[in-house]
Amino acid sequence: MKRSKKIALSLFPVYSVFLGLILSGLLMLLLDANPLFVYKKMLIFAFRDAYNIADIFAKATPLMLTGLAFGFAFRASLFNIGAQGQFYMGCLATVTCSLFMNNFPAVILLPLCVLASGVAGGLWGSLVGYAKAKFNANEFLISMMSTYVAIAIMNYLIRGPLIESKGEYPQTDVIAQSAWIPQIIPHTRLHWGFVLAVVIAALAYFILWKTTLGFKIRAVGMNRDSARYAGINEKRIFVEVFFISGAFAGLAGFMEVNGIQHMLVQGFNPYLGAEGIGIAILGNAHPLGIVFAAILFGALKVGGNLVVQTSSIPSSIIGIMEGLVMISVIFSYFLRERILIRMEKKMLQAEDRKEDPRV
Amino acid sequence: MIVEGILKGAVMMSTPLLIGALAEVFVERTGVMNIAIEGIFLIGAWAGFVGAYLTKSIGVGLVCSVVAGLVTGAIYGYFTVYLKQHQIVTGTAFNILSVGLTLYLYRVFFGVPLLPLTVEPLSSINIPLLSKIPVLGEALFNQNILTYLAFLFVGVGYWVLYHTRLGLVIRSTGANPEAVDAAGINVEKVRYWAVLFSSAMNGLAGAFYSLGFLGLFTENIIGGRGWIAFAICFLGNWNPLGVLAGALVFGLADAVAVSIQTSAFKAIPNEFIIALPYILTIVATIARKHFNVPAYLGTPYVKERR
Repeated sequence: MKRSKKIALSLFPVYSVFLGLILSGLLMLLLDANPLFVYKKMLIFAFRDAYNIADIFAKATPLMLTGLAFGFAFRASLFNIGAQGQFYMGCLATVTCSLFMNNFPAVILLPLCVLASGVAGGLWGSLVGYAKAKFNANEFLISMMSTYVAIAIMNYLIRGPLIESKGEYPQTDVIAQSAWIPQIIPHTRLHWGFVLAVVIAALAYFILWKTTLGFKIRAVGMNRDSARYAGINEKRIFVEVFFISGAFAGLAGFMEVNGIQHMLVQGFNPYLGAEGIGIAILGNAHPLGIVFAAILFGALKVGGNLVVQTSSIPSSIIGIMEGLVMISVIFSYFLRERILIRMEKKMLQAEDRKEDPRV
Repeated sequence: MIVEGILKGAVMMSTPLLIGALAEVFVERTGVMNIAIEGIFLIGAWAGFVGAYLTKSIGVGLVCSVVAGLVTGAIYGYFTVYLKQHQIVTGTAFNILSVGLTLYLYRVFFGVPLLPLTVEPLSSINIPLLSKIPVLGEALFNQNILTYLAFLFVGVGYWVLYHTRLGLVIRSTGANPEAVDAAGINVEKVRYWAVLFSSAMNGLAGAFYSLGFLGLFTENIIGGRGWIAFAICFLGNWNPLGVLAGALVFGLADAVAVSIQTSAFKAIPNEFIIALPYILTIVATIARKHFNVPAYLGTPYVKERR
């Protein structure tokens, strides 16, 4: 196949992002808003100053991690729909660490929080993997339900033992400054967690494609039966994949609590897990694609939030844009596949003609 | 009194779960998972409320919820059955979209009302004499029309699935699509119709939450109930009778939770009671050893290419 054609095809998801935005634009007409004007405003807002540009990357940070959580398990043909719950578990662990070990200096406290949130999310996730390995339970259902249980645990802890000292609202106290992730650019919300998230994405790539574990994971993902015949212990892989995947989502909790909120508020970021699935799809479950897709969703959020504050468009438009972009991307995968098959057929026919002049 | 109240609540709360799970049984028996179920519940709840509010007629509201479910299902089915895209991935996209869409369109229709808008919820139909049976009378014979329909649907569904040609086609499409295809039946068509049917029913089930007893619409009105219906289909082993048992257990859990929440009993934290149905699902999924999973569940049917 020609190189230019190949590049054009690989850009299909990018075109479909525009399709999703056009469809969302049609919905804006219902509120008598001019979509062109709204999008122009969004672009101007999102890139108006250093603060907003930095905010795009700050917003992309947890999304990258929940995207990796879904994408990593997807490579093993496993469905981790419970990133939201693993994220909340990570939040609880890191906020507990930050609140109760606040006399440690930042150099010790921050790594501790990273560890705590990753392990908490990982353990919560590996329960799902364990249920699948041991009881052959459907991981889709269990991970979905585990999120609701995690929400209940979080609500209970925030209402009870972790509640702020005033005891008024369901939220924790503000954590000590030493537990804050330092900013990359002062006076913005962009913190070094973004860099850590990119490193984690690189780590996910490394695990999947450069290690034996990754080879096993992908083998289980491609064909469970042949992986088993090849002597791979698939049950062990289930638990390991869910631990790693859950750890990614748990780390998103570290980013949000220590990097942005500096406290834990009941029920915050309720769609982070679901958005992660969208990001993983948009990024074709590849770590590099997930990084870019997360930045795109970050830009949609920053631009969208500012437009919402200054116009009659409600914030639900952001969810609509995300959903329609996802559906368009799925459609583009179908189209791309179909074009590839057609081109392959043509090539085969051309070869046939060369070999056999009668055809 | 308390027992009667809880039983009545249990049957009431099991209604939408029963409708949703039965619909899921039919579609999954053809080999397609309707993962958009949570979103369609929400869209059904929204459309039912909007229809009922604008026309002041609950009947119109219910029709609206069915139509809204049907439209969503038509798109979901097109993506999963004809374009053969991944069911879980597509369904998740639909679920995300439905949250934004229902909130947005609520705003389009009603702006930002100061007080939540309400409609008169569905009234109970009291069946004379039978509703006077002690303990069970109120629970079984003083419910709204959707509950009666749901129970009727269990019987009819069972009969269709196991005693008719249509049922045989549905079951075979999930178990052995090649054979169905060889018999000259269009596999994709069967699956698409099943998605349409289940989505219409899911829309109706969703409307139960907005019109059945609350009489209003909020963002988190469904709050995972669609997933529970989805789980009940699994736990009921893809059998209408199993689904009936499952729905009643979950309805009971819901009703007990409500009555504990409103009582003075505070020994168990509220959050635990809210989490109960979800924990129950996990336990039941783990405890159940033998599932009768339709062999081709989740696998798109691709005719052998020549």
